[in-house]
Amino acid sequence: MEITETQEGGKAVAILDGRLDTATAGLTETRLLAMLEKGSVIADLSEVRYVSSAGLRVLLKAAKQAKATGASFAVVGLQAPVREVFEISGFDKIIPAFATRAEAAQG
Amino acid sequence: MDTPPFHLRLPASLESVSALLDALEAYSEAAELSPGIAARLALVAEEIAANVAMHATGATFFELRVTPASGALALSIEDDGPEYDPLARAAPDTEAAIEDREVGGLGVHLVREMTQDARYVRAGGLNRLSCALPLG
Repeated sequence: MEITETQEGGKAVAILDGRLDTATAGLTETRLLAMLEKGSVIADLSEVRYVSSAGLRVLLKAAKQAKATGASFAVVGLQAPVREVFEISGFDKIIPAFATRAEAAQG
Repeated sequence: MDTPPFHLRLPASLESVSALLDALEAYSEAAELSPGIAARLALVAEEIAANVAMHATGATFFELRVTPASGALALSIEDDGPEYDPLARAAPDTEAAIEDREVGGLGVHLVREMTQDARYVRAGGLNRLSCALPLG
């Protein structure tokens, strides 16, 4: 998992590249929660081809932390298998998902 | 082309979960599985293997077999940990609001939703979870 930080419309963006799974969940959680301490975060998952329940737990923790601090947390660029995992888990109803970073920055 | 079988036995550790996923990616490519099926196969394997690696105290290995059948892949995952039926776990409330969503139970929920005929047996000191992953 490679995580690159950038900005979009004044919001922090974490570009994730790789599998978000049991092995990479810990590192990803640390990075996302640290970014969320400073404000809203958009997680760009365009290069993530695979998310398991360990990855879902990280995204849920991020969304909960955002909610608790009044920041926002959104995901963009879900690949079809990742979207399927979101839908089966009901995450499509609790984590805002956008097609592009620009849309997420406005939303 | 006939889909080949897959078989891998690894030590019950978190490093093995990554090794299993790498091996399954190579298998899925060689077997020309669609990206959707490949992702489901990896997910089901990871959820069960990660459960064993993280929670099954005393387990020394897990072993995955993928056997192509008519219109589906038959999966069997065995480990030598203490008796544990992952399917006995209640399904998470996927309609709950974000504040009420709990972080546990999602893995087994995904396995249940993506496969058919999931069943657990304890035999010969091993846990065995078997299920069918439809190819259609």
